[in-house]
Amino acid sequence: MDYGQAFEISASGMSVEKLRIDVTAVNIANMHSTAAADGTLFRPLRVVSRPGAPTFASQFQESSVYDLRGAQVLGIQELTVAPRMVYEPGNPSADDKGMVALPGVDHVSEMVNLITALRAYEANVVAMNAAKTMAVKALEIGGNP
Amino acid sequence: MIQEIDSVTVGVLRLALDAASLRHQVFAHNIANANTAGFAPLRVNFEEQFDALRSAFDQSRPVERGMLEGLRPAVQQDRSPSGATAKVALDLEVARLAQNTVHYQALLRGVAKHLSILGVAITEGKR
Repeated sequence: MDYGQAFEISASGMSVEKLRIDVTAVNIANMHSTAAADGTLFRPLRVVSRPGAPTFASQFQESSVYDLRGAQVLGIQELTVAPRMVYEPGNPSADDKGMVALPGVDHVSEMVNLITALRAYEANVVAMNAAKTMAVKALEIGGNP
Repeated sequence: MIQEIDSVTVGVLRLALDAASLRHQVFAHNIANANTAGFAPLRVNFEEQFDALRSAFDQSRPVERGMLEGLRPAVQQDRSPSGATAKVALDLEVARLAQNTVHYQALLRGVAKHLSILGVAITEGKR
């Protein structure tokens, strides 16, 4: 059993899900950030992933049609959402009507993304532990049954 | 006689172990892509290829090593009967993964038993 690749697949999945959790944390942390000095407002971020691309070396290997290389990050996308306008006349970044523009971060979808990514991360850990169990059992071939 | 049993049993077990380890990689791949948009889960086609072997058993014909030729675990995309691509169900994948792990261990037990039978033959039944 090529357990190295099984571990690599699970590790790629875990790193993608960890980035998803990190990005969600950034979104929540910037929920109340007002516009920067140059006037740009924070925009909520989303991780876009895709199945792992074949490597240069794997192109030369005989393999099945599908390349099992786990997941990889394609990029981090900025969402275009309308800013949330809050009435805070005392805030230094308030406009002449006393309104402050805050990033349009959606609590609910951020929390749902966080929990989904967390569960997916856990599932990857389960898969990795299963690969470990299988590899250790395979080492027992020829031992005392 | 012993050669036939040996080659067929070990050959089948080796193929099945290969299939189980490939299947584990496929499940891990599906789980890693659980949140990837537009990803269709992959499946391993293996047990379906055993019809010829099974009918030989049913008619109590001897199973020959040649029957194992061409049996290869194949990865394919999961498609529902309507032809639409399915979505990854995390719970289903983890459950199948756990089942596959137990299956793999059962196959390994089979290898160990087979080897211990050979051991009995070598020691002429003595301990």
